[in-house]
Amino acid sequence: MTSLPLQSFSPPEFLNTLLSNSVSMGAVVMGTLLFVFAFWALYTIVAIYHWLKYSHASAVAFPAIGIHLFISFGLIVYALSGTVII
Amino acid sequence: MKEFELEPGEEVVLLARKHWLLFLSELLPYAIIAVLPFSLPKFLPLFSVSAPYAEFFTYTTPLARAALGVWLLITWTGCWGTFTKYFLNAWVLTSHRIVDIKQRRFFSREVSSLFLSRVQDVTTEVNGVLPSLLNMGDIKVQTAAEDVEFVMHGIPRPEQMRDIILKYVHEHEAPPTPQT
Repeated sequence: MTSLPLQSFSPPEFLNTLLSNSVSMGAVVMGTLLFVFAFWALYTIVAIYHWLKYSHASAVAFPAIGIHLFISFGLIVYALSGTVII
Repeated sequence: MKEFELEPGEEVVLLARKHWLLFLSELLPYAIIAVLPFSLPKFLPLFSVSAPYAEFFTYTTPLARAALGVWLLITWTGCWGTFTKYFLNAWVLTSHRIVDIKQRRFFSREVSSLFLSRVQDVTTEVNGVLPSLLNMGDIKVQTAAEDVEFVMHGIPRPEQMRDIILKYVHEHEAPPTPQT
């Protein structure tokens, strides 16, 4: 068996052709970001509903929701900070 | 309290949750996941196969920043969900009963009450070095019916809580009938 030199991974050629011909990379990234942000929004709404309904009138509820929204928006802004949308 | 209405003369004595260390241990996987993208640039150059990809993990390109942002957003949301679940699980001791609130997951909640007049026995268990040092353990509350048992795992200062429960149990016991 012949030994081959190690090569770094590269995606199959047909995949590159398919992506470049039909869907732009920017659209794929945008779609992925939209899906993640929609999931985040839904999860956050459900969690906030539980906090407000079942938090036993705790003073922790609003700070917890506020911190979550603050950090999440920071991360969302960071994720969108590049010129991803082509 | 929205889950249960306090009776006239009933008051909340104690509200207990799991020990903070157990909560932190649930956060540990998220901490590892969060650190992963920052540790990759240091590890990838060590191997010739993975070295070409190290540049991606410097997060200078828009795509890499978007990937890192999404990765951290999902991790953070998971952490917050864990905290939400931790906070919504509680034991409430009132002057009349013990209320066990179990939030298994979103939209799955169980609230059960055990009146102190039915309590037969309260047992605490502290097993292991770390629980002994941190004073955390389990409490089992047994009723007259053998199949009814309230168990709360990993709560702080279990002996203190047992004493408080027993104090209120004794207050609810009927006075002994005089012997003739």
